[in-house]
Amino acid sequence: MKGTIALCLAFLAYPFVFSNAFYLDIGVALLLAAISASAWNIVGGYAGQVSVGHCMFFGVGAYLPLLVYQHWQLPPIVGVPVGIAISLVLAVLVGLPTFRLSGHYFSMATIAVAELIRLVVSTWDFAGAAIGLQGPAVGRGWYDLTFRGELPYYFIFLGVLVIVLAVTWQVQRTRFGYYLRAIKAGERAARSLGVPVRRTKLYALMLSAAFTSVAGSLYAIKTGFIDPDSGFGILVSVQMVIIAALGGAGTLYGPLVGALILIPLQTATNTWFGGGGTGLTYILYGGIIVIIARFEPGGLHEMWQRIAPKLWKRHAA
Amino acid sequence: MLLSAQNVSKEFGNLRAVAGADLAIEEGEIIGLIGPNGAGKSTFFNCLAGETLPTTGKIVFDGVDVTTASPETHARLGIGRTFQVPATFEDLTVLDNVMVGAFLRHPHRTHARAHALKVLDLVGLKDRQDLRARSLGTPGRKRLEIARVLATGPRLMLLDEALAGLTPAELQQAIALVRKIHETGVTLVIVEHIMEVIMTLARRIIVFNQGHVIAQGEPQQVVKDEAVIEAYLGRGHRNWRKKD
Repeated sequence: MKGTIALCLAFLAYPFVFSNAFYLDIGVALLLAAISASAWNIVGGYAGQVSVGHCMFFGVGAYLPLLVYQHWQLPPIVGVPVGIAISLVLAVLVGLPTFRLSGHYFSMATIAVAELIRLVVSTWDFAGAAIGLQGPAVGRGWYDLTFRGELPYYFIFLGVLVIVLAVTWQVQRTRFGYYLRAIKAGERAARSLGVPVRRTKLYALMLSAAFTSVAGSLYAIKTGFIDPDSGFGILVSVQMVIIAALGGAGTLYGPLVGALILIPLQTATNTWFGGGGTGLTYILYGGIIVIIARFEPGGLHEMWQRIAPKLWKRHAA
Repeated sequence: MLLSAQNVSKEFGNLRAVAGADLAIEEGEIIGLIGPNGAGKSTFFNCLAGETLPTTGKIVFDGVDVTTASPETHARLGIGRTFQVPATFEDLTVLDNVMVGAFLRHPHRTHARAHALKVLDLVGLKDRQDLRARSLGTPGRKRLEIARVLATGPRLMLLDEALAGLTPAELQQAIALVRKIHETGVTLVIVEHIMEVIMTLARRIIVFNQGHVIAQGEPQQVVKDEAVIEAYLGRGHRNWRKKD
């Protein structure tokens, strides 16, 4: 509890301590990454269903606000609930057949579906095809959510992250949360204890998809631009998986911890190497995957749990 | 009658693992299911638990046809089972393991927790409730599996070699535990290789061989049965005895 309060205070204080645009930008990017990774964590971490196709929900969430603006001149925020609704339908359509598969086969199926959607969107004129869509360049009012500075975005994103984490915390404590962890630990045994495995997985995917869609919407509204790669690209999915796995998949704060490490690191490599370093993101991701898989499959959370008691002991002695 | 299986068969390609097996279980019984390796016990057992779909036949539990019902439905109706190799949730604590079972009849967390603690007390794992399942040894994990099933409130419990691999002392404790569970009103089907367990616990024994039920009856009677001795020792055992 103390840790949670300290964390909240730190996040509230950050934009005032590091008020220059560069650091604020990192803060916003970090919060967004934490939101999407936390959303992924519900189905990928707790239920252990490693989806590598979550960009499909992120993309839907990102496209809808700009679609409603482009075609009907509606405020982008109108597209957010529509994006959530479509993501929920998509989650059911994708979840029903793919949850018959387990382990790697499930992951591969999700990649395939996401790539299919990316290809369709990149040739679909209505959705801006390969060029993408743009939001309002100048806000027509507060409802367009186009702010000049980063500060309002920072607090909106922080608010959404708090909601996602609060819901996750609540899920952890309910029957639903226990069932998710049981499914991860052993589907066959879970089933024999009366856990409705397929339905539980589907609900988890729907909840996760809804939050991921919101993350996509936030990204598009803030950036004011979306194209097939930044919405439906595989890197979007991979980033969620890596951040969650780095911090500790299936734990409340794991994704946030992962984002705290990965986003500054990513920004650092991008700044040092400038435009020439774009490919470095892939190398960074690859390196992290190797390190996590080889040394710390439970992520930093598990490492901390192992090390912390020893540290206290030394401290006491 | 609590459960009846009529003419249950299961074929895997050309192999008939179970060939027209019949079984009737009355409420309150303890039934031992024995037979040599590969006799079809486990396949039949899995048909009863809803994990394997029989090729032919019909299984009725308390008036409900459960032949094609899922394992979840079996659990909900009151048929619980353990696994030959303990399938405990290794990363979860002992208490959380049992709570997953308890949630079936107690949707609310505090109620599920209270019920799980009661069950842990019964099986004697209460002092280890905060340990992760992986840190228990084989006897502990078998006990935990039984606890988990017990928490779902079963009327019929299927134990698949739940007592195998225990030391003689642990075995006595486990037998006492099974008796205690039976006293709470749970009907039991026990698949077991250890004759000591079967002879002391079961009131009725069903003997499987090559997919068929070759004998059934009271323990003392079954061990003297010609067909049973033949299935276990082979046809030549009498001549061999005479020579001796």
